[in-house]
Amino acid sequence: MPIEVINLSHSYKIGTPFEHKVLHNISLSIKDSQFVGIIGPTRSGKTTLAQHFNALHIPKQGKILIDNEDTADKKTDLVKLRHRVGYVFQNPDYQLFAPTVGEDIAFGPSHQKLHRTEIDKLVQESMHQVGLDFDTFRNRDIFALSGGQKRRAAIAGVLACRPKVLVLDDITAGLDPRGREEILNVIKDLHQNQKITILFISNSMDEVALLAERIIVIDQGMIKMDDLTRNVFARTEELRSIGLELPEVTVALENLRSAGFHLPNGILSVDEAIEAIAAALQEKGAHH
Amino acid sequence: MELTKNITLGVYLPGETIIHRLDPRTKIIAATILIVMLLLSRSYIAYAAVAFFIAMIIVISAIPMGYALRGLKPMLPVLLLMWIFQLFLFRDSDTLVLFNWWIFEATEAGLHMGNLIILRVLFLFTVTTLLTLTTSVVSLTDGLENLLNPLRKVGVPSQELVMTLVIALRFVMILAEELEKIIKAQMARGVAFDQGNFIQKTKKIFPVFLPLFVSAFKRAEELIIAMESRSYTGGKGRTKMKTLHISRADLTAAITILIFTGLMIYINIATEPFI
Repeated sequence: MPIEVINLSHSYKIGTPFEHKVLHNISLSIKDSQFVGIIGPTRSGKTTLAQHFNALHIPKQGKILIDNEDTADKKTDLVKLRHRVGYVFQNPDYQLFAPTVGEDIAFGPSHQKLHRTEIDKLVQESMHQVGLDFDTFRNRDIFALSGGQKRRAAIAGVLACRPKVLVLDDITAGLDPRGREEILNVIKDLHQNQKITILFISNSMDEVALLAERIIVIDQGMIKMDDLTRNVFARTEELRSIGLELPEVTVALENLRSAGFHLPNGILSVDEAIEAIAAALQEKGAHH
Repeated sequence: MELTKNITLGVYLPGETIIHRLDPRTKIIAATILIVMLLLSRSYIAYAAVAFFIAMIIVISAIPMGYALRGLKPMLPVLLLMWIFQLFLFRDSDTLVLFNWWIFEATEAGLHMGNLIILRVLFLFTVTTLLTLTTSVVSLTDGLENLLNPLRKVGVPSQELVMTLVIALRFVMILAEELEKIIKAQMARGVAFDQGNFIQKTKKIFPVFLPLFVSAFKRAEELIIAMESRSYTGGKGRTKMKTLHISRADLTAAITILIFTGLMIYINIATEPFI
């Protein structure tokens, strides 16, 4: 299910003194099963852009084609489209509204005119996918969940709609390291084993560097970079000037380089970094 | 999907005009006088005068006319319903029957009452909106507190009341934003808020309220903690950072509003109701 964005612009509060433009002429295309990281400083327009992907915002200027369907076209079935492009919100509290976990996850499929047993199956499957035990959590009160469990329940609620594309809006914010890792493993698994396209909005450069194959950098409503992950993080100065932090690994290697070590570009994971540093140390040792 | 666009009540539109710079007390008193006048007037000429006066204020305070009146738009269906109720249900013994429909009859007195109620609600809303559009929350609080201060002596917790009122105003926008987020979250999972007939649409609204109430209570609780952590203990012993003072502009405004009051009283005495 390819996504095509053509010259998209968006303004909020049109016709009021508070009108402001948040997206300027955005064009991009996303192929099937890609894992795309979307990064940018706060208020850069990331969320606004992302909410266009599942037609929560309908373009007034420009166009969006989801699987060749124009979201602004009156004939497009937006309900079906929103099931195919799942959206997990920044704050799970807005998304969870049924009294129990099971009922909440069943909310999406119950709008698809499915049979009861089918809905149950979908709920069970999606809870399994995010690592929530069906029997333990099915009847659990939403308010009795921890932060990490809430996120997982929110993701399960979207997965139960069987999406082909998953838009994740900063879903690890405010989680402890362990909860973070658990969620990220769920996402990795969805991408690798189910070939779901992932659009991953994040403020954590470390997460994006590790997971995404391609990165789109947005600043002030414009696309500043759109390239493979290692190429984007090689442009350290530009990223800094936008106000973005760099992944810890990138920073560490940069410091070593300026201390005179010869290290290759484009290293993003800790393991790769360890190997490269070991090689560099050996090389240095050989010279002495 | 943008709900907050049409909300103007409780919004402050910063500006440097004479209306913005007036002492908040002047504006509050002027708004109160205007509201009292609106409630007492029964003549269309009086309402025309009020409309002109309000239009003048909007022009002077440099608020785009369309924006000042924007908040009225969502109220129109409710007002229309009220108008229809008045038209058919208001009873007066010696009134002209305009027409009959099924078991209802529309009377001339009902028509006038309907018109009157619509005019009153529209103007009341516009006056209050104008007050918040031109006055920041801080000065609104200061002004109201100052005006209600004498009541403290008879045991009215004026400062607390004002704080409650101001928080309520602030929450109009906050709740609208929350509502927008919740509706979006449900749309994302297949609820079509923009499809279906009236009953179907109404049914879809109910699942929105549970999370809205939950988040409203949550917000309130957070606010309480934020206030307490800054040692808010109510009105007692609080001092002000800004002191209010009356300027020349306030005198001009006071004289204008007095002249207008006189005019309104004259119009209401000199003309018959509903003319």
